Amino acid sequence: MRRLAHINTLMTCAALVCGVMAHAGPNSDYRPPVKEFEEYKPEPLPPGFSVQLTDVDGPVFADPRGLTLYTWPLETLRNGEAGEHPDQPTCDNTRYTENTGYMTPYPKGLVLPDLPIRATCADVWRPVTADAGAKPVGKFSVVTRKDGTKQWAYERYALYTSSLDTKAGQVNGGTRRERRYDAPVLRRPIGPASNVPPAFDVKPHATGRLIVTGDSHSVYTWDGDEPNKSNCRAQCSDEWTAVIAGELVVAKGDWGIIERSPGVKQWTFRGKPLYTRVLDRRLRSLEGSDVQGWHNVYTQKNPEPPAGFTVQSARIGQVLADSAGRTLYVYNCGEDTVDQLACDHPTTTQAYRLAVCGNFDAERCNKTWPYVPAPENAVSGNLIWGTAWIDPKSGKLAEAKAAGAVHVWTFRDRPVYTFAQDTKPGDAYGDAWGEFWGNRNGFKAFWLRDDFTSAGRAGGNAD
Amino acid sequence: MQQVKTSVLRAALAFALGAGVFQSAAAAESSRVDPLKPLMLTSDGRLAYIITTRHWAVYPGKDLKTECPKGTNDGPREQFEKQFPTNGAKRTLVDTQLMREGRQWFPSTEREPFEFKEVAGKVSYGMDLDGQVKPTDFVGPDGEKGIDNQLFRAIGCISSYRPPGGHWRTSETQTLRRYNYNRFVIEITGVDSLENDAQVTVKSYRSLDPLMTDASGESFTPGAPQEIDERWGAFAQSTWTGKIVNGVLITDPADLVMPTAMSFGTTANHELRGVRFKLTLTPESAKGFMAGYAGVDDFIRHLNVSSATAIQSYGQLSSPSLYRAMHRLADGYPDPKTGEMTAISSALEVEFTRVFLTRGSATTGENPQLSQVKSGTKK
Repeated sequence: MRRLAHINTLMTCAALVCGVMAHAGPNSDYRPPVKEFEEYKPEPLPPGFSVQLTDVDGPVFADPRGLTLYTWPLETLRNGEAGEHPDQPTCDNTRYTENTGYMTPYPKGLVLPDLPIRATCADVWRPVTADAGAKPVGKFSVVTRKDGTKQWAYERYALYTSSLDTKAGQVNGGTRRERRYDAPVLRRPIGPASNVPPAFDVKPHATGRLIVTGDSHSVYTWDGDEPNKSNCRAQCSDEWTAVIAGELVVAKGDWGIIERSPGVKQWTFRGKPLYTRVLDRRLRSLEGSDVQGWHNVYTQKNPEPPAGFTVQSARIGQVLADSAGRTLYVYNCGEDTVDQLACDHPTTTQAYRLAVCGNFDAERCNKTWPYVPAPENAVSGNLIWGTAWIDPKSGKLAEAKAAGAVHVWTFRDRPVYTFAQDTKPGDAYGDAWGEFWGNRNGFKAFWLRDDFTSAGRAGGNAD
Repeated sequence: MQQVKTSVLRAALAFALGAGVFQSAAAAESSRVDPLKPLMLTSDGRLAYIITTRHWAVYPGKDLKTECPKGTNDGPREQFEKQFPTNGAKRTLVDTQLMREGRQWFPSTEREPFEFKEVAGKVSYGMDLDGQVKPTDFVGPDGEKGIDNQLFRAIGCISSYRPPGGHWRTSETQTLRRYNYNRFVIEITGVDSLENDAQVTVKSYRSLDPLMTDASGESFTPGAPQEIDERWGAFAQSTWTGKIVNGVLITDPADLVMPTAMSFGTTANHELRGVRFKLTLTPESAKGFMAGYAGVDDFIRHLNVSSATAIQSYGQLSSPSLYRAMHRLADGYPDPKTGEMTAISSALEVEFTRVFLTRGSATTGENPQLSQVKSGTKK
């Protein structure tokens, strides 16, 4: 034991000797408005780089300006692949004008909409350039672009910042949540590994960064326990299984170990003993929190949505809704192009959205998929929720208080919507409306809890 | 709870394996048990069955030529090629793909440049839903007149729906079995005999557990426990009155919302009006039809949110073309303002396997995902 602890100390020192504290960052570091933050394992960073805390994506790596870093690993689509190979950045100033036919049944060679305003990949995804003499640091390396310039990479994938991020803590370019079926090949924010023991993992979830066991079973805490003491015995332990710690593991940070009974150790998190639930039907389950006094465990909860929003029970769990109980939706869009640029933001073409929200009729679109109005003085108190002025005729951003403009709530800098065919709280008829189940050009309900379609054991229809 | 589950499993095992022991015990326990089938009933006259097969009833006929003399319909891929032939012309995404997607999500009844092929045969599965014999009605395979199933007329010449291997037809059953979202249970109460009973009550529920199969994975084992989904599945609860005649359950009509998730990561329901059952009952299973009226707009929305255009292409299923046909053939629930029919007669071929229902695990907490739930906002 002592020897292992010594090795651990040496490794930590090694990270520090590399010159950069993982916490170091710009003066404008962002602090999400939540009680507790996710611990992470420090890594050596290139000069000026930092780790930034975010509202829903945990700690992320940032460039010297504090802007979130993204990679674009290769993934498969219906008729091909998109993204980048290790050490081979491809995102450049090529201006694509036609679709690629990755997504059946439509053929390739169709002229893309709004070509005069269509950005290039490098306009939207800005390469994180490196000095000519830059040297690799830890998992960060330097790759050469086609034009001969140098670019930072992480685990060999080239690094970019998003044109939608303007300050530290913003992650408007992408998400760490799982890619859904037939969604575009997304850019992923990258960050240091969570400081969880090998027996655990952290999964991004709609309500926070959920702690699960290494095989994805949810862990729980119980109000009946005391700090660092388990009171779950006898009948309680029939339903709740203590998460046993191995003989050689050591406590670290938020993670502790108690001796449950002579020779039997149990993991704790922030002083609370951890359990799994015998009756959970699925992986990453929230069912255990239905039992009075029991709670799922998060490294960091997501910030609350704007005041007045509500949570409604629906056919698969709980959904976020407006003050009248109308289900909220987000709009997803990615172009069928080599560069897989997003088309889900008010600064991009609105042709895709107008097609599926109103058959190109803006008035019909706004009636079918109304924006969610926000008071002019609305403040969210975090970076993930916000507001924007929108010209409802074009769907584009508008000047504040411009004639005809509406002030609306946004999530990840994109407007959220309700759906006219939902007539009572809990309705979610608009979920999966649009191309490819709402994942490529369409709408998805803002699910907070999903007991049926999320990845899990037998019966989940994510597989 | 664990003890409850254990008890249920023991009961299930006894049901499945302990025929002899159960037989004598059941016979002694209740004088209501049918002496011819002493195993079929519990002492309180309750039986529950879970759905294991469900697809829209399409009568195969003698051959395709008889049912569909003009052949089967085109799907999105074929229609696109006819509309925009590959001739070197440069076209825009807005004028082609997005135009078609816009009409997919906002279909109309205006004429389109594609011929829609309806079923020409006279025979169909289904039931007489309106008590009338009309010129548009079908005749049942057993000669019963007045069969109302205009949905069959609309979908019968679309490859995706046709037996034996149509894509939608196959997917319906595969996803029904695979996704727990689709667990649909009927509980028959007040049963004195599975042969003849003048009055029984049927209730439907959504349940939560995987289907129990045999070792092959292809057959379903009767007697498995299923927990009713009281929390998220209340939408699927309906009640029917009915009777059992010569081993066949026949019910009066009632409206039903039926869980019918069809694709990765999506969920949707069929909202059916005036649904009635006609099921042949055995102690282990039930098989037959559910018939009623499907709302046209609801049917098409379900089709679209459950199946991308790419998937519809697999079975030459054009949603906008089907929408037109269904509107044309709709025969129920006229709009009170316009008089236009909003629903279409239909039938589902279904199979059920006997299960034991359990109720409610220890889920008493509110499990708020956000603190605002506690503050009394709507739930």
